[in-house]
Amino acid sequence: MTAATDPVRIVNWRERLRGAAVFAALALWTMFALAPIAWIVLMSFKQGNDIIAWPPKFVDFTPTLDNFRSVLMLPDFLAPFRNTLIVTLGSVAVSLLIGLPAAYAIARMRLPAREHVAFSFISLRFAPELFVVLPLFVLYRTLQLNNTYLGLIIAYQLVCFPLIVWLMRSFYEEIPKEIEEAVAVDGGTIWTKFRIATRMSLTGILASAVLAFIFSWNSYALPLVLAGKDTQVITGAILGFMKFADIQWGQMAAGTIIAILPSLVFTALLVGRMVDGMTAGAVKG
Amino acid sequence: MQTIPKDRRAPFWTESRLALLFVLPGLLLMIGVLWPFLQGVRWSFSDFTLTRPDALRFNGGANIVAVFKPGTPEFAALTVTLKFAVSCVAIQTVAGFAVALLLNWPARWTKVFRVLVIMPMLVPPIAATIMWKVMLIERGVVNYLLQAIGFGGVNWFGSPTMAFWSIVLIDTWIFTPFVILIMLAGLQSIPKEIVEASHVDGAGFLARLARIYIPMMKPFIVLVALFRGIDSLKMFDAIWSSTKGGPVGATKNLHVFAYEQGINYLNFGRSMAALFILWVLCYGLSMALLSTRRARAAQ
Repeated sequence: MTAATDPVRIVNWRERLRGAAVFAALALWTMFALAPIAWIVLMSFKQGNDIIAWPPKFVDFTPTLDNFRSVLMLPDFLAPFRNTLIVTLGSVAVSLLIGLPAAYAIARMRLPAREHVAFSFISLRFAPELFVVLPLFVLYRTLQLNNTYLGLIIAYQLVCFPLIVWLMRSFYEEIPKEIEEAVAVDGGTIWTKFRIATRMSLTGILASAVLAFIFSWNSYALPLVLAGKDTQVITGAILGFMKFADIQWGQMAAGTIIAILPSLVFTALLVGRMVDGMTAGAVKG
Repeated sequence: MQTIPKDRRAPFWTESRLALLFVLPGLLLMIGVLWPFLQGVRWSFSDFTLTRPDALRFNGGANIVAVFKPGTPEFAALTVTLKFAVSCVAIQTVAGFAVALLLNWPARWTKVFRVLVIMPMLVPPIAATIMWKVMLIERGVVNYLLQAIGFGGVNWFGSPTMAFWSIVLIDTWIFTPFVILIMLAGLQSIPKEIVEASHVDGAGFLARLARIYIPMMKPFIVLVALFRGIDSLKMFDAIWSSTKGGPVGATKNLHVFAYEQGINYLNFGRSMAALFILWVLCYGLSMALLSTRRARAAQ
């Protein structure tokens, strides 16, 4: 670092070197983040003996769709997939139905003990699942709700409901108060205000619903205890491939990928919508 | 309570009453949850087993005491719980902060990395555990690569120590993206002028880290640490789907212990006592978490 050379060029050169170091570090972390996903994708296209080959095969194998084909014909996989879809969509719908009014009341209405109500709702999210689920299991035995969709949908509210209320509270709070005042001046009732506010936060509702969907879809401990043979969900099903003495590696890999797909699709949808919303806001603003 | 000004017609449906009506379904749900919850607390003070539900006897909190008594399986589970939570929070907070700082580098290509680095968030914890188990088996790809660069193979889930750290590794893989997201939001909330001024003053990176980034990021760091603290205290999915608490209890935290006692042995008394203590730990942290949120809102 001699002062004789051009200082601007030194800075540039050092900045570039730093930039390269940052790039390398990020590339390394990205490898760590993507390697497991990449490996299971590779595995899902491999034949049985390519999977257990030593040294492991990275690219030198003939890809096959057999694993996907056989998983998609497997009743042990299809039924759980359908069950998960029913339970997850049902739970999100119920959560929205009871969560939207609750969130609106917390955000915008003269609610007695507002923060206590809000805290008691969100505290569900922080409780260890089994603390509620194990007693629920005993209760369900008498109510005969174990191994039913209804029982699962009720239990899944532990996952969905706090999330919906918490997120929607913030979204409702963001709506300008002036709009509601205008509705009140026009003689609108609280019901009208609620409907207008809800229509204005559709993007927020979509975002909360997608997040609730993903969390329910990924849920494991709840169905492990409360689901039975007829209501087995996807997380249990893909782990089922590991239980047998000889693990069905290929089917497990294919099943895992299929199990992730809905979350991926919904997230892509969400990101698209969010970008749309932001650009629309920018144009209007 | 403030009094509501009386309208001439004095409608029954005042705004507070309507508000209560709006949250009523939610409150009913809470009551529905509260019943099993109270039941659980009651059982934690008894020797309740599902095989003989009629013969419930209260045992003066012996199950609760066992959690804090060195030498009991409960105490071992408590130790694993705390060790796991502290390890996860420390590693993930530091790693997430570091990656977020890197992603904050002023260049276009960081945008691509932002998307890629978040990807593990979309993978269900169960699927993530499967992915890592597949890579970490004895004749798996990780051991192959380790041997290729001259290390010996590692028995990832075989020894107690390695099994513990393997689970920490899986947890870190799943949840660091969340930390990165929050930290990035925090970094973006720092006014650019401050960072630019420090450049003009010739401050080095370490000085900037100590004087600007860490102090200004403190609320976000606390938020993330509390969030991750709660979730790693009650970690269940990755453990039960990979080691089931073994080998020799090295990965058996309170949540896993409670599942085993409750579902496998139907010892609901001991199971509920472990969950009760776990819940108290989580509840304490969540109170702290929400008070930081409220403090920020008040600002």
